[in-house]
Formats: sequence, structure tokens, C-alpha cells
Amino acid sequence: MNQRLNQRAKTNTEYTLKPLAIALLVLAASTLVGCSSKAESTAGATVVDVVNTDDSCTLSDTSAPAGKIVFNVRNDGTKVTEFYLYADGGASVVGEVENIGPGVSRKLTVSPGAGSYLSTCKPGESGTGIQAAFTVE
Amino acid sequence: MEVFANFLIGLREGLEAALVVGILVAYLRRTGRQRALRSVWAGVVVAVGVSLLFGAVLTYGPRGLSFKAQELIGGILSIMAVGVVTWMVFWMAKTARFMKAELEGRLDVAVAMGSFSVFLLAALAVGREGLETALFLWAAAQATGSSTQPLVGAIFGLALAVVIGWAITQTAVRFSLATFFRRSGVLLVVIAAGVFSYGIHDLQEAGVLPGLNNIAFDVSSTIKPGSWLATLLKGTVNFSPVTTKLEVFVWLVYIVPTMVLFLKKSKAPARKPSQTQRRTVEA
Repeated sequence: MNQRLNQRAKTNTEYTLKPLAIALLVLAASTLVGCSSKAESTAGATVVDVVNTDDSCTLSDTSAPAGKIVFNVRNDGTKVTEFYLYADGGASVVGEVENIGPGVSRKLTVSPGAGSYLSTCKPGESGTGIQAAFTVE
Repeated sequence: MEVFANFLIGLREGLEAALVVGILVAYLRRTGRQRALRSVWAGVVVAVGVSLLFGAVLTYGPRGLSFKAQELIGGILSIMAVGVVTWMVFWMAKTARFMKAELEGRLDVAVAMGSFSVFLLAALAVGREGLETALFLWAAAQATGSSTQPLVGAIFGLALAVVIGWAITQTAVRFSLATFFRRSGVLLVVIAAGVFSYGIHDLQEAGVLPGLNNIAFDVSSTIKPGSWLATLLKGTVNFSPVTTKLEVFVWLVYIVPTMVLFLKKSKAPARKPSQTQRRTVEA
């Protein structure tokens, strides 16, 4: 009897959930594969160094050629910061990197087309931040 | 200061995963499924390992991950995590119903979670924000050339999250099983709703979903992002001081029916308690 109960319980759990679990795992795997293929080489990219303090945001360049751009954002301030590249005067996000703690540098990789953008540092992770024009030629 | 700010990031990123895994471990212990704990740890180790590896490749290797790809990973994994956590909640509701009919300790027979499901749950709970956390950790590790403070802070933050998760499993022992199921179920529904709206926000940032600038509320002047309060709210229920209308919408669409259904299901008695009981006694 005990064994039969065990059997029943096992059937219940293993069989109802396995397809769901497998479907999820396949999805996860394909996501990872899909995304790692998007992890393109940054060899030919333009590197823009960004130094962020609590009240300043200095870019090594305010323009870059169209194509891959890597923003190397360093936080020299005391607050946690974020860096954004906005399009359409701030209406849409081209890219964002968050969780840049004090003393930490993080990279943002984007491939914007030619146009006018806004580079933005957000020390304190809120508000409109420190914005400046950034041109992609 | 460098230590503290990075400590808060670590805590924020690790807290929610620690809560979910803590509840899962408590659930398995209380239902006498000690053996399934191996699946939990396997899930945690796989998620941490894959995240750290992928994060290291992106940090130190010649390849970078585009912003859009990272947001897509975060968004899709979050929505998958909502799926499995919801499943866990209703699994617990089902167990709670069986409980009324059976004695404690016999639950393992009636309502054992499959070990693969347990593995998946743990892996997704940890892996959801795993890549972002790993990238942050590796960035902090890279900074050690000039200062070890960021890395020390980050590790202490994550360590505190783990301690809180452990404390949850210890506290859970003190409640009666019925109370434990109800409280942790309610907590998980609230957590999952937050994860859902967070995932939607990621997809909005990636440009997959619209309405990123359609803000429902902005309380960032009251709940300052760098503060303890903001850290705990974000780390536990994914409360964001600036929330879009779409986020609020999906949060409500998820939490209202799920909570109602959970409370109803966990209350309802088992369909044929007398029969189940008889079988147990016979066995």
C-alpha cells in the first residue's frame, strides 16, 4: 500500500512538471545561446571614457562614429551611479548601465546609428541626472 | 563610504533570491524532504557558476554584451522565475490542504515536489539577476587595483543577504505548518508580482515593450535610491521609486487574482479528507 502511494505521488509530480520544466530549460538555453551570439567583439569599437563624480560627468569625447561604442564609466563619487545614453531628447533609452558603485568602472556597449543623443550620469540613481549632447556621425 | 554604497548594492541584488531559496529550503525541511535539498544546492551552484562564468567572459574577454541583450536576458529570466515561483505557491497551497487530512511527516508521500522542479526553482531564483550581479562583482574585483573597498562591500552585502535567507529557514521552524504555508505563500506572491513588474521594466528598457516614459509615480525624492529603505524595498518586493504605468498594471493583474486564488486554495479543505486519512492509516 505504502509503495503504491509512493508510486502515485511520484507519478503526479514527475510527470506533470517535467514537460514544463524541460520547456523552461530549453527556453533558458536558447536565450543564452541567442544572447551570446549577440555578444559581439568590441575590438573595432570606439571607446569613450566617462568619469562620474557626485556632481560632474566628464566624457573623453562628445562624439563618435556610427557603429559600436563602448562607454567605460568610472564612478569617482560617493554615491551609486548609473549611465544612460538617450535618444529622441530623452524619450527613449539606447543603453543603460546601473549599479556602478563608488570606485567601480563598468562598461556599456551600444551600436547607435548617426544622430543626436544625450549622455547622462545619474549619481544617486534618481532624477534627470547630468546630461550633455552626444553626437554619432 | 565606498564600502557602504557597494554593500547596499550587494544586499539589494542578493536579497530576493535569498528569500525565495530560504523559503524553499524551509518548505522542504518542514515536509520532511531533506533529500531534495541537494537539488536546491545544485540549482544554486549552477546559477552562480553560470552567472560568474558568463560575467567573467564579458568583463575580461574581448566580447561585450549589448545593452539590449542584457535587458532581454534579465526580462525573460524574470518572467520565467515568476512562472516557477507561482507554481511553487500553488504547490504549497495544495500541500496545506493535504495537511488537514494527513499527519505531519507524511507529506512527503502525498505531495513531493519533483527534484528537477526544485532544481529549476532554485536556479531561476538565483540566476534571474545573476548576470547583473556577476558583472557588478567582477567590476568591483577589477577595481581592487586601486581600492579593495568596492569588492569588500559587495561581498558583505551578498553575505548579509545569505544570512537573512538562512534566518528565514530558522524562523520557519517556529511557526505551525499551517501558519508557515500561509505566510510564506503570501510573501512569495508579493515577491513574484515584483519580479514580474521588474521583468516588464527590463523589456521596456530593451525597447521590446513600450511606455518606458509613461510614469505612474515617482517617489524618488521621498524614498531615496541610495538609502537603506529603498535597498530593502527593492531587494525584497522589487519596489522601484520610479514606476511605469505598465509595471503597475501587470503588478495588479498578477497579484490580485493570484493572491485571491492562493488564499482560497490554502483555506479549502481537501476534497475527501476522510478517505485520504484512511489510506494513510492503512499504509
